[in-house]
Amino acid sequence: MSGGFAERAREALGNRQLHIALDRTTAQLGVRRAVGLASLDDADRVRDRARASKMEVLHTLADSLRAFEARLVENGARVHWAETTDDANRIIVEIATKAGVRRVAKSKSMASEETHLNAAFERAGIGVVETDLGEYIVQLAGDRPSHIIMPIVHMTREQVGRVMAQRLSVSYSDDTQTLARYARGQLREEFLQADMGLTGANFGVVENGAICLVTNEGNGRMVTTLPRVHVVLMGIEKLVATMADLDRFLKLLARSATGQKLTAYTTLVRGPRRSGEDSGPDEMHVVLLDNGRSRILAGETAEILGCIRCGACLNACPVYRSVGGHAYGDVYPGPVGSIVTPGIRGLAPFAELPSASSLCGACREVCPVRLDIPRMLLALRHEAVDRTPQPAALRVGLKLFARVASRPRLYRLAAAIARRVLRRRARDGWIRRAPGMARGWTRFRDLRAPAAVTFETAWRRRAARKS
Amino acid sequence: MSGARDAILRRVERALRTGRIPSAPPDHRGDEGAAPVAADARRARPDAAALLDRFVLEARALGVETYVEPTAAAVRDRLRTLVAGLRVLAWNREHLPYDCGSICKGALVGSSPRADQAGAEVGVTGCHGAIAETGSLALIAGPGCSPTVSLLPPFHIALVGPDDLHERMIDFLIARSEALAQSSNCTFVTGPSRTADIELSLTIGVHGPGRVAVVFGP
Repeated sequence: MSGGFAERAREALGNRQLHIALDRTTAQLGVRRAVGLASLDDADRVRDRARASKMEVLHTLADSLRAFEARLVENGARVHWAETTDDANRIIVEIATKAGVRRVAKSKSMASEETHLNAAFERAGIGVVETDLGEYIVQLAGDRPSHIIMPIVHMTREQVGRVMAQRLSVSYSDDTQTLARYARGQLREEFLQADMGLTGANFGVVENGAICLVTNEGNGRMVTTLPRVHVVLMGIEKLVATMADLDRFLKLLARSATGQKLTAYTTLVRGPRRSGEDSGPDEMHVVLLDNGRSRILAGETAEILGCIRCGACLNACPVYRSVGGHAYGDVYPGPVGSIVTPGIRGLAPFAELPSASSLCGACREVCPVRLDIPRMLLALRHEAVDRTPQPAALRVGLKLFARVASRPRLYRLAAAIARRVLRRRARDGWIRRAPGMARGWTRFRDLRAPAAVTFETAWRRRAARKS
Repeated sequence: MSGARDAILRRVERALRTGRIPSAPPDHRGDEGAAPVAADARRARPDAAALLDRFVLEARALGVETYVEPTAAAVRDRLRTLVAGLRVLAWNREHLPYDCGSICKGALVGSSPRADQAGAEVGVTGCHGAIAETGSLALIAGPGCSPTVSLLPPFHIALVGPDDLHERMIDFLIARSEALAQSSNCTFVTGPSRTADIELSLTIGVHGPGRVAVVFGP
């Protein structure tokens, strides 16, 4: 990753392959979501209630976490708390080392992307393989995921075919059925050999300590059923209070993500294998990760902790659809990433992200939890401006503008001069380089030439004609 | 480790005093929340035939094969035809309804060696719940009911009776809450294993079974 968002976005805009891939998917996902939501009775009320129950959990997060921990322990799981990504990785590698783990099979987990867990395993000499098809291809290609639920949305099937042909010594194909069969063949052995299954959690249920996992491929079931150790890495915000709440979120999650009524496999895990059961892990560990979440909770963007990672806001966002996920520079892309990333990694290095939005509100429109993403983006812009010293020219300029704008005659005079200067610079009704202090505006966009007659003048003439 | 626990909980408590968390309207829990069991008793349960119709409709839309048989003997005949010539992995005999255990004599079970189970060509299970609204099968892990049976073979057959049918997932969760509390794992199977990771193009049978059949008995 190099440079800032603007630079990465410019590169992305020039990448034709990326545009083919994004065009083939994001709009289609948006349509599927709309159809999925339409199949839900009273969808608006379900969303209202889901939002309310998530906000209630956040309001009581400390107590909810204590209760959740107690239920996990009753279920026979061991609970660990990690303040940072390093802590989480250290805890998990320690669990693996103690249990003599040599191979780890991972189901898709955004939290483990956030901690860069794979690198930590590799440093410790422990083999790790991603088992979600998209994540597996990302791992083979040495790439990074670019979408929360569709990790390789940035790749065309031809690119996937080339990666598999190279890394797996299979013959090249761009038929998705064949490519999936290659992956199945390779990963089948991994599931059977793995000593440890690593998953995230879509939801943790406070009232009974159940960990809810959804996958379409069945890899989530494999890694929670076959290996002898199961480790869950989850953010401290992923809680829902009751099974009734879980039911409501499940109705929304798959519909918002892919348009399905329910993901193919929805699994509720309540601790390790019980006596008499033939399969399931001997030990289960749950690692609760903070990594900046408590800091987010303390501020203006606390609401974002209600996100259920469906990815709908990415598919709806005109900026994401143009530049893809990598331009956002970290694990969580799109509108949600523009709030989460500055929250967990600090605002300073990611101060551009909240501005990577036209504030059109499409994200808020599709969010199953009705998160007010535009409001939070604005709050972060405020914070970024407050924290960075603004250039003198801008400060003086704004002061000057305030003076002129609050004196009607002076304002009309200044506006007339500006209009004349700008109109002289315009070609075909557009200004490509504005003069003086206005140049900043035309650095990233063209400026429409002002009209020959101002609205104010036209209005006055109209009033005069009428009388 | 308790150091990290206390530090995180302390930070969360402090954050709750300053964070801007929108408030939740007090009445949001509605009918299925605060007293789910009482609310459920008030709800009229649709009749079994309507539930079956809905389940079949939803399951077929997902690509699940469905067979509705009039008698226990017809269920066994159907099963015999479906598994003919295939290596069978099954729930333990006593857990299969309609005396289907007699069809699965000599089948592998959840306690068989893992490698043998992995080589099975079809998995035969009963079911703990069939959710009409989504066409989902609920399978609760327990002695004699191993989740590997519905997971490892490329073909999964579930035997379902009228008492298994529930309209919604929440109905099942409430009705079977005790069984759920006794088990380490409950899975809702909604159609065959699938992915759309490559250009959204639907591919069936990635890690789990690519073929799912449901046989209904009387």
